[in-house]
Amino acid sequence: MSQMETQTTTGETEEQIRDEWLEYDFEGESALSVEDLDVFYGNDQALQSISMDVPEKSVTALIGPSGCGKSTFLRCLNRMNDRIDAARVEGTVEFDGENIYDDDVNLVELRKRIGMVFQSPNPFPKSIRENISYGPRKHGDIDTGLVARLLGRDDRDEEEELVERCLRGAALWDEVHDRLDDNALGLSGGQQQRLCIARALAVSPDVLLMDEPASALDPIATSKIEDLVEELAEEYTVVIVTHNMQQAARISDQTAVFLTGGELVEYGDTDQIFENPQSQRVEDYITGKFG
Amino acid sequence: MSESGGANHDRANIVTETSGVDRLAGVPAVFGAVAFVVGWAIVFRWVHVTDVLAGVTYATLLSAGHVLAAVVLCAVGVLSTTGVVDTDPDDSTGLFTALAFGAIAFVGVGLTASQTFDTGAGVWLPASVVALVLVTVAVLSVPEDLGVTLPVAAFELVVGLAVLTDVIGPSWTWSPHGFSASFVGPIAIAAFAMVGSLLCVWAGTNASQGFGSRGRELGAYSLISTYAAALLAILVLLIVFVVQNGIDQVLKGAQLWPFKLPFVLNGYGLQYDVNGIFPAIVGTVWLVVGAVVFAVPLAVGAAVYLTEYADQGRFTRIVETATNGLWSTPSIVYGLFAFAFLLPRIQNNVTLLTGQLVLGFMLLPLVLITSREALQNVPDEYRDASAALGVTQWQTIRSVVLPAAIPGVLTGVILGVGRIAGETAPILLVLVREPFSASAPSVIGSFHFTASAPFVTNEALLSPATALPYQLFAVITAGVGASQEFGWGTALVLLCVVMFFYAIGITTRIYFRRKLRQ
Repeated sequence: MSQMETQTTTGETEEQIRDEWLEYDFEGESALSVEDLDVFYGNDQALQSISMDVPEKSVTALIGPSGCGKSTFLRCLNRMNDRIDAARVEGTVEFDGENIYDDDVNLVELRKRIGMVFQSPNPFPKSIRENISYGPRKHGDIDTGLVARLLGRDDRDEEEELVERCLRGAALWDEVHDRLDDNALGLSGGQQQRLCIARALAVSPDVLLMDEPASALDPIATSKIEDLVEELAEEYTVVIVTHNMQQAARISDQTAVFLTGGELVEYGDTDQIFENPQSQRVEDYITGKFG
Repeated sequence: MSESGGANHDRANIVTETSGVDRLAGVPAVFGAVAFVVGWAIVFRWVHVTDVLAGVTYATLLSAGHVLAAVVLCAVGVLSTTGVVDTDPDDSTGLFTALAFGAIAFVGVGLTASQTFDTGAGVWLPASVVALVLVTVAVLSVPEDLGVTLPVAAFELVVGLAVLTDVIGPSWTWSPHGFSASFVGPIAIAAFAMVGSLLCVWAGTNASQGFGSRGRELGAYSLISTYAAALLAILVLLIVFVVQNGIDQVLKGAQLWPFKLPFVLNGYGLQYDVNGIFPAIVGTVWLVVGAVVFAVPLAVGAAVYLTEYADQGRFTRIVETATNGLWSTPSIVYGLFAFAFLLPRIQNNVTLLTGQLVLGFMLLPLVLITSREALQNVPDEYRDASAALGVTQWQTIRSVVLPAAIPGVLTGVILGVGRIAGETAPILLVLVREPFSASAPSVIGSFHFTASAPFVTNEALLSPATALPYQLFAVITAGVGASQEFGWGTALVLLCVVMFFYAIGITTRIYFRRKLRQ
């Protein structure tokens, strides 16, 4: 781990972040390895030298108060911040042995392998089936167009299979299998969000980034999403941002706590973070004294 | 409010009980509604002020109504302020209302002093300002029930008596100095009826709810409803007027079986027993089709570039301002441009193609503006979602952004087509050699394919054509070639052609909206 002697900027305490708070030993491979990541929006620094390894096939929760940079951090992991003109990213994120911020990285391939689910459900105004097959179609993996049909190279069977597999993967199949051609906007909020997860699964990612996926949903839909996240972690590496600490405690294997100013203050096993945090500020945050 | 079960007097009963004042106040409101209609009828000359209804002329009936409304409003105000009827007025009428009454007094006193008593500006101007201030202050200083009813009653009384005593009668005329127009009695009486009726509707409905916030609510509602009704009425009248004048010409010589509609289906020439406008209809249709084919792809493409690819900054703002300016450019300027620029470059002769291009130029800015708006309204979530799936920007635009923007783009095309289909000025100099032609341009039939370049030729596109608005202009303004009835028939057909394009556009839009939602 890097040397981290950053002065806190909150002024609430003079607490120094210690290296051992950030050390997290886990078994198995790491899916993403972040090293000295800084993000600037114009002149404002949104993230301060973040370093952390994300273990594969597990759920990593990012928690912290509003404006602490946890969503910014998440969007760095598949370079969605490239879409914001003012954002500037420094440091490295290693994925599959490559730094994703290298110049020769193919963003299309990167985002196929690191998928993302957003805060508010954002299905396309298309049918459920088209929503699922959208990614594979655009990548040329599935072709049901007129030309393909004429040439007898129709992939409709593959499409059916893919749609069913992804919808089952997102625990939505039983609710929608008889209306796959209906517009996705007719689904409820929770169903829409699970459809978005299914849509992300359709391009077979290794990593799934989730930005507060349940914050716009009611408790029942939320618990469905939470169950789903735990299931997904058997096959995928899930990184989930949440501001709901109970949710983080319930579903994650490890937790990273970001605090105001864009610092990563403590990172470790979820049980340890919630039961025995080492940083005073993290303890204050978790026990609700601040944030 | 009436007392019930010894309820607290400070609180209004939640059930309003009829106190009689609402029925009384209904009199001016009903008079207002009737007078409004009669006023319009006089303006459109359906009735004349000297026409007799039940033994009395309309002028007398209207003025008697004014006086009656004045008396009733006075009574309502007095009954309310003396507490005979239960009302709920505020302590004072609003400043805006008071100023509006002040402005009416300003105009009234100013006109009377300067025109009737022929005083100079040294007298009438101070007099009107004094009237404005006095009325405003007076209205503000009395409770709302008096502030609403009395000024309206005063206005009604003055105009009612003026007409009743024949000071401003049907034969009255007013020719202001240094102004070539003159105003005649019937128009003045109609104007009094309309202004007075709006005031009566407002004051009457306001009073019927016992003033206060509920009164103002209903007053504002009825005033706005009356305006909306007037607006709709004007639209309907316009269409009815055109249909009335044009229908005879359109149906001239028409029969159902075997189907004949000579005015619409014939050309103009000696060989026809009934001259028709078929060439002009076809010309207009081809003009619009050509303009749309030329302009819409260009405009949508530019909108995609400006919205999706270009950096949002000074450049896009300049382009936006320039586009808005282009849209507001007078159409005759486009016509002149086409005459000076396009004509020498295309055959040096008036052609259908030049007309299509110049109308296309006119259509460009509007379709660009609305397409840009439509693209900007596509939620960014769609773009994010697509990018997060590793889909490229162009694929995203093509499969998500553009489909979601199509209804908005179509709105622009519909509006634009409505405008260009009726334009005369731009095609004045570049399209027409003979406004009344015998045969329609046969664009589809004129495509010829050749083995050598340019491979496709179309003589019809490079020949002069004619169009409905041009024909209308020729008949009515320039008085060329045909009778006035012919012009009215043309106007009706032009209206129908534009409506037809609207229908196509709106149906397509509904189809695409459905596709996005179902």
